[in-house]
Amino acid sequence: MESITVKDFRCFHAEQTARLAPLTLLVGENSTGKTSFMAMIRALTDLAFPGFVPDFKDDPYDLGSIEEIIHKPISGNRSNTFEGGFYFIPQDKNGKPIKSKQYRFNSVFGKSEKGTAPVPVCRRISDCNSNTWVEYRLQKKGNYICHFNTPECEWKINFQYRHRGGIVLPFYFPIVIAMENGSEKKSDLVMIRGSAPPSEKDWNKIEDICLSLGYMDVRPYAGGPVRSRPRRYYEPSHDIPDPEGYHIPMVFNNLYYRDDEAWSDIKIAIEKFGKKSGLFDEIAINSPEKVESGTFQIQIRKFWSRGRKGPRHNLIDVGYGVSQALPVITELFLRDEGSVFLLQQPEVHLHPSAQAALGSQFCDMAASGRQLIVETHSDHLLDRIRMDIRDSETELQPEDVSILYFERGDQDVSIHPLRIDKNGNILNAPSSYRQFFMDETRRSLGL
Amino acid sequence: MCAIVDANVAHQVFGTNRPNAGIEFFAWLSSGNGSLVLGGKLRHELNKISSFTIWQKEATASGRVILKDDSEVDALTEELKKEGVCKSDDEHVVALAKLSGARLLYSNDDKLQKDFKNKELIDDPRGLIYSTLVNDSFTSTHQNLLRKNICKK
Repeated sequence: MESITVKDFRCFHAEQTARLAPLTLLVGENSTGKTSFMAMIRALTDLAFPGFVPDFKDDPYDLGSIEEIIHKPISGNRSNTFEGGFYFIPQDKNGKPIKSKQYRFNSVFGKSEKGTAPVPVCRRISDCNSNTWVEYRLQKKGNYICHFNTPECEWKINFQYRHRGGIVLPFYFPIVIAMENGSEKKSDLVMIRGSAPPSEKDWNKIEDICLSLGYMDVRPYAGGPVRSRPRRYYEPSHDIPDPEGYHIPMVFNNLYYRDDEAWSDIKIAIEKFGKKSGLFDEIAINSPEKVESGTFQIQIRKFWSRGRKGPRHNLIDVGYGVSQALPVITELFLRDEGSVFLLQQPEVHLHPSAQAALGSQFCDMAASGRQLIVETHSDHLLDRIRMDIRDSETELQPEDVSILYFERGDQDVSIHPLRIDKNGNILNAPSSYRQFFMDETRRSLGL
Repeated sequence: MCAIVDANVAHQVFGTNRPNAGIEFFAWLSSGNGSLVLGGKLRHELNKISSFTIWQKEATASGRVILKDDSEVDALTEELKKEGVCKSDDEHVVALAKLSGARLLYSNDDKLQKDFKNKELIDDPRGLIYSTLVNDSFTSTHQNLLRKNICKK
Protein backbone atom coordinates (compact mmCIF):
# COMPACT_ATOMS: atom_id res chain seq x y z
CA MET A 1 0.00 0.00 0.00
CA GLU A 2 1.42 3.32 -1.08
CA SER A 3 -1.27 5.50 0.43
CA ILE A 4 -4.66 5.31 2.05
CA THR A 5 -7.78 7.30 1.28
CA VAL A 6 -10.76 7.82 3.56
CA LYS A 7 -14.05 9.62 3.08
CA ASP A 8 -17.04 10.12 5.40
CA PHE A 9 -15.32 7.73 7.76
CA ARG A 10 -15.58 8.47 11.50
CA CYS A 11 -14.04 11.93 12.03
CA PHE A 12 -12.93 12.31 8.39
CA HIS A 13 -15.36 14.03 6.05
CA ALA A 14 -13.95 15.07 2.67
CA GLU A 15 -11.79 12.52 0.86
CA GLN A 16 -8.22 12.57 2.14
CA THR A 17 -5.20 10.63 1.00
CA ALA A 18 -2.30 9.87 3.33
CA ARG A 19 1.03 8.49 2.17
CA LEU A 20 2.29 5.32 3.76
CA ALA A 21 5.99 4.55 3.89
CA PRO A 22 8.02 1.67 5.27
CA LEU A 23 7.82 3.55 8.58
CA THR A 24 4.72 5.68 9.07
CA LEU A 25 4.13 7.58 12.30
CA LEU A 26 0.66 8.77 13.23
CA VAL A 27 0.81 11.75 15.56
CA GLY A 28 -1.68 14.22 16.99
CA GLU A 29 -3.87 14.81 19.98
CA ASN A 30 -6.23 12.23 21.46
CA SER A 31 -9.47 11.55 19.59
CA THR A 32 -8.24 12.68 16.20
CA GLY A 33 -8.90 9.45 14.33
CA LYS A 34 -5.50 7.75 14.43
CA THR A 35 -6.93 4.46 15.64
CA SER A 36 -9.81 4.67 13.15
CA PHE A 37 -7.25 5.20 10.42
CA MET A 38 -5.46 2.02 11.47
CA ALA A 39 -8.74 0.12 11.55
CA MET A 40 -9.38 1.20 7.98
CA ILE A 41 -5.95 -0.03 6.88
CA ARG A 42 -6.67 -3.46 8.32
CA ALA A 43 -10.19 -3.52 6.90
CA LEU A 44 -8.92 -2.71 3.43
CA THR A 45 -6.21 -5.35 3.72
CA ASP A 46 -8.82 -7.94 4.70
CA LEU A 47 -11.11 -6.92 1.88
CA ALA A 48 -8.61 -6.51 -0.92
CA PHE A 49 -6.27 -9.45 -0.48
CA PRO A 50 -7.89 -12.52 1.04
CA GLY A 51 -11.30 -11.06 0.16
CA PHE A 52 -13.05 -11.05 3.54
CA VAL A 53 -15.93 -8.81 4.45
CA PRO A 54 -14.07 -6.59 6.94
CA ASP A 55 -15.03 -6.67 10.58
CA PHE A 56 -14.81 -3.18 12.02
CA LYS A 57 -15.36 -4.57 15.52
CA ASP A 58 -12.49 -7.01 15.53
CA ASP A 59 -9.88 -6.46 18.28
CA PRO A 60 -8.12 -4.18 18.97
CA TYR A 61 -10.47 -1.87 17.08
CA ASP A 62 -14.12 -1.57 17.88
CA LEU A 63 -15.61 1.12 15.72
CA GLY A 64 -19.19 0.08 16.39
CA SER A 65 -22.00 -0.27 13.89
CA ILE A 66 -22.30 1.59 10.62
CA GLU A 67 -24.17 4.35 12.43
CA GLU A 68 -21.06 5.02 14.52
CA ILE A 69 -18.71 4.72 11.56
CA ILE A 70 -20.27 7.06 9.00
CA HIS A 71 -19.10 10.62 9.55
CA LYS A 72 -21.59 12.84 11.36
CA PRO A 73 -21.38 16.38 10.01
CA ILE A 74 -22.46 19.20 12.31
CA SER A 75 -24.51 20.65 9.48
CA GLY A 76 -25.61 19.40 6.09
CA ASN A 77 -26.75 15.99 4.96
CA ARG A 78 -25.21 12.86 6.33
CA SER A 79 -23.95 10.28 3.87
CA ASN A 80 -25.38 6.75 3.86
CA THR A 81 -22.00 5.30 3.09
CA PHE A 82 -18.31 5.71 3.87
CA GLU A 83 -15.28 4.97 1.75
CA GLY A 84 -11.78 3.69 2.04
CA GLY A 85 -9.16 2.87 -0.53
CA PHE A 86 -5.50 2.62 -1.27
CA TYR A 87 -3.03 3.17 -4.06
CA PHE A 88 -0.61 0.40 -4.89
CA ILE A 89 2.05 -0.51 -7.40
CA PRO A 90 1.18 -3.77 -9.17
CA GLN A 91 3.70 -6.58 -9.49
CA ASP A 92 4.78 -8.51 -12.53
CA LYS A 93 4.62 -12.31 -12.79
CA ASN A 94 7.94 -12.58 -10.93
CA GLY A 95 6.67 -10.49 -8.05
CA LYS A 96 8.66 -7.41 -8.98
CA PRO A 97 6.89 -4.04 -8.73
CA ILE A 98 6.03 -2.37 -12.04
CA LYS A 99 7.01 1.14 -11.02
CA SER A 100 5.53 2.76 -14.12
CA LYS A 101 2.06 1.68 -13.02
CA GLN A 102 -0.13 2.75 -10.15
CA TYR A 103 -3.49 1.20 -9.37
CA ARG A 104 -6.15 2.24 -6.93
CA PHE A 105 -8.45 0.00 -4.95
CA ASN A 106 -11.50 1.66 -3.47
CA SER A 107 -14.49 0.44 -1.55
CA VAL A 108 -17.74 2.09 -0.58
CA PHE A 109 -19.24 0.60 2.55
CA GLY A 110 -22.94 0.67 3.26
CA LYS A 111 -25.51 -0.97 5.44
CA SER A 112 -26.10 -4.67 5.01
CA GLU A 113 -29.61 -5.95 4.35
CA LYS A 114 -29.43 -7.76 7.66
CA GLY A 115 -27.75 -6.33 10.72
CA THR A 116 -25.89 -3.12 11.35
CA ALA A 117 -22.36 -4.06 10.26
CA PRO A 118 -20.96 -2.24 7.24
CA VAL A 119 -20.50 -4.26 4.07
CA PRO A 120 -18.73 -3.36 0.83
CA VAL A 121 -21.44 -2.18 -1.57
CA CYS A 122 -19.16 -0.99 -4.32
CA ARG A 123 -15.58 -2.04 -5.01
CA ARG A 124 -13.40 -0.78 -7.78
CA ILE A 125 -9.85 -1.30 -9.01
CA SER A 126 -8.59 1.30 -11.43
CA ASP A 127 -5.43 2.04 -13.33
CA CYS A 128 -4.44 5.59 -12.36
CA ASN A 129 -2.66 6.15 -15.67
CA SER A 130 -5.44 5.08 -18.03
CA ASN A 131 -9.18 5.04 -17.98
CA THR A 132 -9.30 1.34 -17.16
CA TRP A 133 -11.28 0.04 -14.25
CA VAL A 134 -13.42 -2.78 -12.96
CA GLU A 135 -16.24 -2.15 -10.54
CA TYR A 136 -18.64 -4.32 -8.58
CA ARG A 137 -21.79 -2.68 -7.37
CA LEU A 138 -24.12 -4.52 -5.02
CA GLN A 139 -27.80 -4.20 -5.84
CA LYS A 140 -30.58 -5.66 -3.70
CA LYS A 141 -30.71 -9.29 -2.60
CA GLY A 142 -27.22 -10.26 -3.67
CA ASN A 143 -27.50 -9.00 -7.22
CA TYR A 144 -24.32 -7.46 -8.54
CA ILE A 145 -23.55 -5.35 -11.54
CA CYS A 146 -19.97 -5.64 -12.69
CA HIS A 147 -18.72 -2.84 -14.93
CA PHE A 148 -15.60 -3.16 -17.09
CA ASN A 149 -14.13 -0.08 -18.64
CA THR A 150 -11.14 0.54 -20.89
CA PRO A 151 -10.39 3.61 -23.01
CA GLU A 152 -11.92 1.70 -25.94
CA CYS A 153 -14.90 -0.09 -24.44
CA GLU A 154 -17.36 -0.28 -21.59
CA TRP A 155 -19.76 -3.06 -20.76
CA LYS A 156 -21.47 -4.65 -17.84
CA ILE A 157 -22.66 -8.00 -16.61
CA ASN A 158 -25.29 -8.86 -14.00
CA PHE A 159 -24.97 -11.80 -11.66
CA GLN A 160 -25.96 -12.99 -8.25
CA TYR A 161 -23.66 -13.80 -5.34
CA ARG A 162 -24.06 -13.95 -1.58
CA HIS A 163 -21.20 -13.28 0.85
CA ARG A 164 -20.79 -16.91 1.73
CA GLY A 165 -18.74 -17.33 4.89
CA GLY A 166 -17.86 -13.67 4.81
CA ILE A 167 -15.96 -14.00 1.53
CA VAL A 168 -16.53 -11.36 -1.13
CA LEU A 169 -16.58 -12.25 -4.79
CA PRO A 170 -13.05 -12.15 -6.25
CA PHE A 171 -12.49 -9.54 -8.93
CA TYR A 172 -11.57 -12.09 -11.58
CA PHE A 173 -14.77 -14.11 -11.13
CA PRO A 174 -17.05 -12.31 -13.59
CA ILE A 175 -14.20 -12.30 -16.08
CA VAL A 176 -14.15 -16.07 -15.91
CA ILE A 177 -17.91 -16.21 -16.36
CA ALA A 178 -17.81 -13.78 -19.24
CA MET A 179 -14.90 -15.53 -20.94
CA GLU A 180 -16.36 -19.01 -20.59
CA ASN A 181 -19.94 -18.20 -21.31
CA GLY A 182 -19.66 -15.02 -23.26
CA SER A 183 -20.39 -16.66 -26.58
CA GLU A 184 -23.29 -18.70 -25.23
CA LYS A 185 -24.77 -16.11 -22.91
CA LYS A 186 -24.35 -12.99 -24.88
CA SER A 187 -27.46 -11.63 -23.26
CA ASP A 188 -25.53 -11.46 -19.96
CA LEU A 189 -23.01 -9.04 -21.39
CA VAL A 190 -24.34 -5.59 -22.00
CA MET A 191 -22.20 -3.43 -24.18
CA ILE A 192 -22.29 0.23 -23.26
CA ARG A 193 -19.52 1.50 -25.52
CA GLY A 194 -16.98 0.03 -27.96
CA SER A 195 -16.80 -3.30 -29.78
CA ALA A 196 -18.75 -6.45 -28.98
CA PRO A 197 -17.41 -8.90 -28.03
CA PRO A 198 -14.52 -7.11 -26.35
CA SER A 199 -11.20 -7.34 -28.14
CA GLU A 200 -8.32 -9.42 -26.81
CA LYS A 201 -6.49 -6.19 -25.98
CA ASP A 202 -9.41 -5.08 -23.82
CA TRP A 203 -9.56 -8.45 -22.12
CA ASN A 204 -5.87 -8.31 -21.33
CA LYS A 205 -6.20 -4.91 -19.72
CA ILE A 206 -9.18 -6.00 -17.66
CA GLU A 207 -7.56 -9.28 -16.69
CA ASP A 208 -4.36 -7.51 -15.68
CA ILE A 209 -6.22 -5.18 -13.37
CA CYS A 210 -8.44 -7.90 -11.92
CA LEU A 211 -5.51 -10.12 -11.03
CA SER A 212 -3.32 -7.33 -9.67
CA LEU A 213 -4.35 -7.82 -6.04
CA GLY A 214 -3.91 -11.57 -6.14
CA TYR A 215 -4.71 -13.65 -3.09
CA MET A 216 -2.49 -12.92 -0.14
CA ASP A 217 -2.90 -13.68 3.49
CA VAL A 218 -1.19 -10.51 4.59
CA ARG A 219 -3.26 -9.53 7.59
CA PRO A 220 -1.23 -6.98 9.53
CA TYR A 221 -0.35 -7.60 13.14
CA ALA A 222 -2.46 -5.11 15.06
CA GLY A 223 -1.00 -4.39 18.47
CA GLY A 224 -3.32 -2.69 20.92
CA PRO A 225 -2.47 0.17 23.27
CA VAL A 226 -3.17 -2.01 26.30
CA ARG A 227 -1.07 -5.10 26.79
CA SER A 228 -1.53 -8.11 28.99
CA ARG A 229 -0.35 -8.11 32.60
CA PRO A 230 2.58 -10.33 33.39
CA ARG A 231 1.91 -13.47 35.44
CA ARG A 232 4.03 -15.32 37.96
CA TYR A 233 3.35 -18.66 36.23
CA TYR A 234 2.04 -19.39 32.76
CA GLU A 235 0.15 -22.48 31.72
CA PRO A 236 0.79 -23.61 28.17
CA SER A 237 -2.07 -22.86 25.81
CA HIS A 238 -2.50 -21.63 22.24
CA ASP A 239 -0.16 -19.08 20.70
CA ILE A 240 -2.61 -17.41 18.34
CA PRO A 241 -1.57 -13.75 17.87
CA ASP A 242 -3.46 -11.43 20.14
CA PRO A 243 -3.46 -7.60 20.14
CA GLU A 244 -2.67 -7.52 23.85
CA GLY A 245 0.16 -10.01 23.59
CA TYR A 246 -1.34 -12.85 25.68
CA HIS A 247 0.20 -15.26 23.22
CA ILE A 248 3.82 -14.16 23.63
CA PRO A 249 4.72 -16.34 26.65
CA MET A 250 3.23 -19.33 24.80
CA VAL A 251 5.28 -18.49 21.73
CA PHE A 252 8.41 -18.48 23.88
CA ASN A 253 7.53 -21.79 25.50
CA ASN A 254 6.77 -23.46 22.19
CA LEU A 255 10.00 -22.27 20.62
CA TYR A 256 12.00 -23.20 23.73
CA TYR A 257 10.82 -26.81 23.63
CA ARG A 258 10.32 -27.39 19.91
CA ASP A 259 12.82 -25.33 17.97
CA ASP A 260 16.21 -24.66 19.57
CA GLU A 261 17.47 -22.63 16.64
CA ALA A 262 14.42 -20.40 16.40
CA TRP A 263 14.41 -19.88 20.18
CA SER A 264 18.08 -18.99 20.11
CA ASP A 265 17.54 -16.49 17.26
CA ILE A 266 14.61 -14.76 18.90
CA LYS A 267 16.34 -14.74 22.29
CA ILE A 268 19.43 -13.09 20.81
CA ALA A 269 17.34 -10.49 18.98
CA ILE A 270 15.22 -9.67 22.01
CA GLU A 271 18.24 -9.49 24.30
CA LYS A 272 19.97 -7.16 21.85
CA PHE A 273 17.01 -4.81 22.12
CA GLY A 274 16.92 -5.32 25.88
CA LYS A 275 20.55 -4.18 26.15
CA LYS A 276 20.10 -1.17 23.86
CA SER A 277 17.01 -0.03 25.70
CA GLY A 278 18.48 -0.68 29.14
CA LEU A 279 15.49 -2.87 30.01
CA PHE A 280 17.31 -6.17 30.52
CA ASP A 281 20.28 -8.22 29.36
CA GLU A 282 18.94 -11.73 29.38
CA ILE A 283 15.60 -13.47 28.98
CA ALA A 284 14.95 -17.10 29.85
CA ILE A 285 12.22 -19.69 30.28
CA ASN A 286 12.16 -21.43 33.63
CA SER A 287 10.07 -24.56 33.76
CA PRO A 288 10.17 -26.24 37.18
CA GLU A 289 8.62 -29.40 35.76
CA LYS A 290 11.02 -29.45 32.78
CA VAL A 291 8.25 -30.51 30.40
CA GLU A 292 6.54 -28.60 27.64
CA SER A 293 3.13 -29.16 29.13
CA GLY A 294 4.14 -27.90 32.58
CA THR A 295 3.76 -24.42 33.99
CA PHE A 296 6.61 -22.06 33.27
CA GLN A 297 7.99 -18.66 34.17
CA ILE A 298 9.58 -15.95 32.09
CA GLN A 299 12.70 -14.69 33.77
CA ILE A 300 14.68 -11.57 33.18
CA ARG A 301 18.21 -10.72 34.15
CA LYS A 302 19.83 -7.29 34.25
CA PHE A 303 23.60 -7.36 34.47
CA TRP A 304 25.35 -5.48 37.23
CA SER A 305 28.19 -3.08 36.59
CA ARG A 306 31.28 -4.40 34.79
CA GLY A 307 29.17 -7.11 33.16
CA ARG A 308 28.66 -9.16 36.29
CA LYS A 309 25.53 -11.24 36.03
CA GLY A 310 22.89 -10.36 38.56
CA PRO A 311 20.14 -12.67 39.72
CA ARG A 312 17.27 -13.68 37.48
CA HIS A 313 13.89 -12.21 38.30
CA ASN A 314 10.42 -13.26 37.35
CA LEU A 315 8.89 -11.03 34.67
CA ILE A 316 6.24 -9.93 37.15
CA ASP A 317 8.88 -8.73 39.59
CA VAL A 318 10.66 -6.34 37.24
CA GLY A 319 9.47 -3.00 35.91
CA TYR A 320 6.19 -3.00 34.03
CA GLY A 321 7.90 -1.63 30.93
CA VAL A 322 9.59 -4.97 30.23
CA SER A 323 6.38 -6.99 29.98
CA GLN A 324 4.72 -4.21 27.99
CA ALA A 325 7.52 -3.95 25.44
CA LEU A 326 7.95 -7.69 24.93
CA PRO A 327 4.83 -8.31 22.77
CA VAL A 328 5.74 -5.48 20.40
CA ILE A 329 9.38 -6.43 20.06
CA THR A 330 8.74 -10.15 19.80
CA GLU A 331 6.15 -9.75 17.05
CA LEU A 332 8.56 -7.59 15.07
CA PHE A 333 11.20 -10.31 15.20
CA LEU A 334 8.83 -13.23 14.64
CA ARG A 335 7.35 -11.96 11.41
CA ASP A 336 9.12 -12.02 8.09
CA GLU A 337 9.99 -9.43 5.52
CA GLY A 338 6.86 -8.03 3.91
CA SER A 339 4.85 -8.15 7.13
CA VAL A 340 2.78 -5.15 8.10
CA PHE A 341 2.44 -3.93 11.69
CA LEU A 342 -0.16 -1.59 13.07
CA LEU A 343 1.08 -0.53 16.49
CA GLN A 344 -0.73 1.67 18.95
CA GLN A 345 1.42 3.54 21.44
CA PRO A 346 4.17 0.93 21.66
CA GLU A 347 6.03 3.25 24.02
CA VAL A 348 3.61 3.05 26.95
CA HIS A 349 5.28 2.38 30.31
CA LEU A 350 8.75 2.73 28.82
CA HIS A 351 11.43 5.05 30.15
CA PRO A 352 12.48 7.73 27.60
CA SER A 353 15.73 5.89 26.86
CA ALA A 354 13.80 2.72 26.02
CA GLN A 355 11.35 4.75 23.93
CA ALA A 356 14.29 6.11 21.95
CA ALA A 357 15.70 2.59 21.53
CA LEU A 358 12.33 1.51 20.23
CA GLY A 359 12.60 4.27 17.61
CA SER A 360 15.93 2.85 16.43
CA GLN A 361 14.47 -0.65 16.40
CA PHE A 362 11.58 0.51 14.23
CA CYS A 363 14.05 2.06 11.78
CA ASP A 364 15.95 -1.24 11.56
CA MET A 365 12.79 -3.28 11.05
CA ALA A 366 11.41 -0.93 8.41
CA ALA A 367 14.75 -0.96 6.62
CA SER A 368 14.61 -4.76 6.51
CA GLY A 369 11.41 -4.89 4.47
CA ARG A 370 8.70 -4.72 7.12
CA GLN A 371 6.09 -2.00 7.02
CA LEU A 372 5.34 -0.32 10.33
CA ILE A 373 2.47 2.03 10.96
CA VAL A 374 2.86 3.39 14.46
CA GLU A 375 0.54 5.60 16.45
CA THR A 376 2.66 7.42 18.99
CA HIS A 377 2.74 10.27 21.49
CA SER A 378 6.45 9.81 22.14
CA ASP A 379 8.82 12.66 21.33
CA HIS A 380 11.73 10.43 22.29
CA LEU A 381 10.79 7.82 19.73
CA LEU A 382 10.26 10.36 16.96
CA ASP A 383 13.40 12.33 17.81
CA ARG A 384 15.48 9.14 17.69
CA ILE A 385 14.13 8.32 14.24
CA ARG A 386 14.99 11.83 13.03
CA MET A 387 18.49 11.58 14.45
CA ASP A 388 19.14 8.07 13.16
CA ILE A 389 18.29 9.25 9.66
CA ARG A 390 20.36 12.42 10.00
CA ASP A 391 23.37 10.51 11.32
CA SER A 392 22.95 7.58 8.90
CA GLU A 393 22.58 5.22 11.85
CA THR A 394 19.93 3.39 9.84
CA GLU A 395 19.63 2.26 6.26
CA LEU A 396 16.27 3.96 6.17
CA GLN A 397 16.20 7.00 3.88
CA PRO A 398 14.26 10.19 4.60
CA GLU A 399 11.60 9.26 2.03
CA ASP A 400 11.09 5.95 3.83
CA VAL A 401 9.46 7.77 6.72
CA SER A 402 6.04 9.35 6.60
CA ILE A 403 4.70 11.40 9.49
CA LEU A 404 0.96 11.89 9.42
CA TYR A 405 -0.24 14.66 11.69
CA PHE A 406 -3.91 14.39 12.57
CA GLU A 407 -5.40 17.79 13.33
CA ARG A 408 -8.86 18.27 14.70
CA GLY A 409 -10.90 21.05 13.09
CA ASP A 410 -14.36 22.27 14.04
CA GLN A 411 -16.21 19.63 12.08
CA ASP A 412 -13.69 17.03 11.06
CA VAL A 413 -10.07 15.96 11.13
CA SER A 414 -7.39 16.82 8.59
CA ILE A 415 -4.39 14.60 7.94
CA HIS A 416 -1.23 16.61 7.24
CA PRO A 417 1.66 14.76 5.63
CA LEU A 418 4.99 15.80 7.15
CA ARG A 419 8.40 14.75 5.93
CA ILE A 420 11.85 14.26 7.39
CA ASP A 421 14.82 15.46 5.36
CA LYS A 422 18.39 14.18 5.39
CA ASN A 423 19.27 16.63 8.16
CA GLY A 424 16.51 15.30 10.38
CA ASN A 425 14.33 18.37 9.90
CA ILE A 426 10.56 18.16 10.02
CA LEU A 427 9.18 19.64 6.82
CA ASN A 428 5.67 20.76 5.81
CA ALA A 429 4.51 21.19 9.41
CA PRO A 430 1.40 23.37 9.63
CA SER A 431 1.45 26.15 12.21
CA SER A 432 -0.71 24.13 14.60
CA TYR A 433 1.79 21.27 14.76
CA ARG A 434 3.11 21.00 18.32
CA GLN A 435 1.95 24.53 19.15
CA PHE A 436 1.22 23.34 22.68
CA PHE A 437 4.88 22.39 23.15
CA MET A 438 6.08 25.67 21.67
CA ASP A 439 3.83 27.59 24.07
CA GLU A 440 5.07 25.57 27.03
CA THR A 441 8.69 26.17 26.06
CA ARG A 442 8.11 29.88 25.62
CA ARG A 443 6.45 30.00 29.02
CA SER A 444 9.22 28.06 30.73
CA LEU A 445 11.79 30.44 29.25
CA GLY A 446 9.78 33.44 30.39
CA LEU A 447 9.74 34.85 26.86
CA MET B 1 8.85 31.45 5.27
CA CYS B 2 12.40 30.96 6.49
CA ALA B 3 14.58 33.57 8.10
CA ILE B 4 18.05 34.02 9.54
CA VAL B 5 18.83 35.78 12.80
CA ASP B 6 22.29 37.30 12.98
CA ALA B 7 24.19 36.58 16.18
CA ASN B 8 24.52 40.29 17.02
CA VAL B 9 20.74 40.68 17.40
CA ALA B 10 19.91 37.24 18.78
CA HIS B 11 19.44 38.75 22.26
CA GLN B 12 16.64 40.91 20.78
CA VAL B 13 14.74 37.76 19.84
CA PHE B 14 15.73 35.25 22.50
CA GLY B 15 16.90 37.47 25.34
CA THR B 16 14.94 38.84 28.27
CA ASN B 17 14.97 42.58 27.62
CA ARG B 18 13.64 42.64 24.09
CA PRO B 19 12.35 45.43 21.87
CA ASN B 20 8.86 45.04 20.43
CA ALA B 21 10.26 44.20 17.00
CA GLY B 22 12.19 41.32 18.59
CA ILE B 23 9.22 40.11 20.62
CA GLU B 24 7.03 39.97 17.54
CA PHE B 25 9.73 38.27 15.50
CA PHE B 26 10.00 35.59 18.18
CA ALA B 27 6.22 35.21 18.25
CA TRP B 28 6.23 34.85 14.49
CA LEU B 29 8.85 32.11 14.64
CA SER B 30 7.17 30.29 17.52
CA SER B 31 3.73 30.38 15.91
CA GLY B 32 4.92 28.34 12.96
CA ASN B 33 4.21 31.09 10.45
CA GLY B 34 7.91 31.42 9.92
CA SER B 35 10.87 29.17 10.42
CA LEU B 36 14.46 29.79 11.40
CA VAL B 37 17.37 28.47 9.39
CA LEU B 38 20.52 27.38 11.17
CA GLY B 39 23.84 25.82 10.28
CA GLY B 40 27.60 26.24 10.40
CA LYS B 41 29.21 28.99 12.44
CA LEU B 42 25.91 30.78 13.10
CA ARG B 43 24.49 27.71 14.82
CA HIS B 44 27.45 27.66 17.20
CA GLU B 45 27.17 31.40 17.82
CA LEU B 46 23.46 31.26 18.63
CA ASN B 47 23.86 28.22 20.84
CA LYS B 48 25.90 30.33 23.24
CA ILE B 49 22.57 31.83 24.32
CA SER B 50 21.07 29.31 26.74
CA SER B 51 17.44 30.30 26.14
CA PHE B 52 18.00 29.87 22.43
CA THR B 53 19.42 26.38 22.92
CA ILE B 54 16.35 25.30 24.86
CA TRP B 55 13.97 26.93 22.39
CA GLN B 56 15.80 25.48 19.41
CA LYS B 57 15.43 21.88 20.59
CA GLU B 58 11.69 22.22 20.77
CA ALA B 59 11.45 24.33 17.63
CA THR B 60 13.40 21.75 15.62
CA ALA B 61 11.05 18.96 16.71
CA SER B 62 8.13 21.20 15.81
CA GLY B 63 9.38 22.06 12.33
CA ARG B 64 10.07 25.72 13.21
CA VAL B 65 13.84 25.38 12.80
CA ILE B 66 15.51 23.99 9.71
CA LEU B 67 19.04 22.76 10.28
CA LYS B 68 21.42 22.78 7.35
CA ASP B 69 24.41 20.49 7.28
CA ASP B 70 27.25 22.31 9.08
CA SER B 71 29.89 20.93 6.74
CA GLU B 72 28.04 22.18 3.65
CA VAL B 73 27.63 25.64 5.17
CA ASP B 74 31.27 25.72 6.24
CA ALA B 75 32.46 24.65 2.80
CA LEU B 76 30.49 27.37 1.03
CA THR B 77 31.66 29.90 3.63
CA GLU B 78 35.25 29.07 2.78
CA GLU B 79 34.52 29.39 -0.92
CA LEU B 80 32.98 32.82 -0.43
CA LYS B 81 35.96 33.88 1.64
CA LYS B 82 38.37 32.78 -1.07
CA GLU B 83 36.38 34.61 -3.72
CA GLY B 84 36.34 37.72 -1.54
CA VAL B 85 32.91 38.70 -2.78
CA CYS B 86 31.43 39.79 0.57
CA LYS B 87 31.89 43.24 2.08
CA SER B 88 31.20 41.93 5.58
CA ASP B 89 33.08 39.21 7.38
CA ASP B 90 29.84 37.25 7.69
CA GLU B 91 30.28 34.92 4.75
CA HIS B 92 28.77 32.16 6.91
CA VAL B 93 25.43 34.03 6.95
CA VAL B 94 25.48 34.55 3.20
CA ALA B 95 26.41 30.90 2.70
CA LEU B 96 23.51 29.82 4.89
CA ALA B 97 21.07 31.94 2.90
CA LYS B 98 22.35 30.58 -0.39
CA LEU B 99 22.08 26.97 0.77
CA SER B 100 18.75 27.22 2.57
CA GLY B 101 16.85 29.64 0.37
CA ALA B 102 16.17 31.92 3.36
CA ARG B 103 15.63 35.48 2.15
CA LEU B 104 14.79 37.37 5.33
CA LEU B 105 17.62 38.47 7.61
CA TYR B 106 17.25 39.99 11.06
CA SER B 107 20.44 42.00 11.45
CA ASN B 108 21.69 45.44 12.39
CA ASP B 109 25.08 44.97 10.77
CA ASP B 110 25.34 47.49 7.95
CA LYS B 111 27.90 45.56 5.89
CA LEU B 112 26.04 42.29 6.20
CA GLN B 113 22.81 44.01 5.21
CA LYS B 114 24.52 45.23 2.03
CA ASP B 115 25.79 41.75 1.27
CA PHE B 116 22.36 40.27 1.85
CA LYS B 117 20.78 42.74 -0.55
CA ASN B 118 23.52 42.28 -3.15
CA LYS B 119 21.88 40.67 -6.18
CA GLU B 120 25.19 39.14 -7.18
CA LEU B 121 25.25 37.19 -3.94
CA ILE B 122 21.61 36.51 -3.10
CA ASP B 123 18.88 36.51 -5.69
CA ASP B 124 15.66 34.94 -6.95
CA PRO B 125 14.14 36.40 -4.86
CA ARG B 126 16.39 39.09 -3.41
CA GLY B 127 17.09 39.29 0.29
CA LEU B 128 15.11 41.49 2.66
CA ILE B 129 16.29 43.01 5.93
CA TYR B 130 14.50 43.11 9.27
CA SER B 131 16.33 45.69 11.33
CA THR B 132 15.90 47.65 14.55
CA LEU B 133 18.64 50.19 13.85
CA VAL B 134 16.20 52.97 13.02
CA ASN B 135 13.19 51.91 15.04
CA ASP B 136 12.93 48.98 17.42
CA SER B 137 9.14 49.21 17.70
CA PHE B 138 7.09 46.74 15.71
CA THR B 139 6.45 49.03 12.76
CA SER B 140 4.31 48.47 9.68
CA THR B 141 7.54 47.77 7.78
CA HIS B 142 8.33 44.95 10.19
CA GLN B 143 4.78 43.64 9.91
CA ASN B 144 4.95 43.61 6.12
CA LEU B 145 8.23 41.73 6.16
CA LEU B 146 6.73 38.98 8.29
CA ARG B 147 3.73 38.71 5.97
CA LYS B 148 5.81 38.12 2.86
CA ASN B 149 6.64 34.67 1.64
CA ILE B 150 10.03 35.08 0.11
CA CYS B 151 11.89 31.82 0.49
CA LYS B 152 13.67 30.37 -2.47
CA LYS B 153 12.36 26.86 -3.07
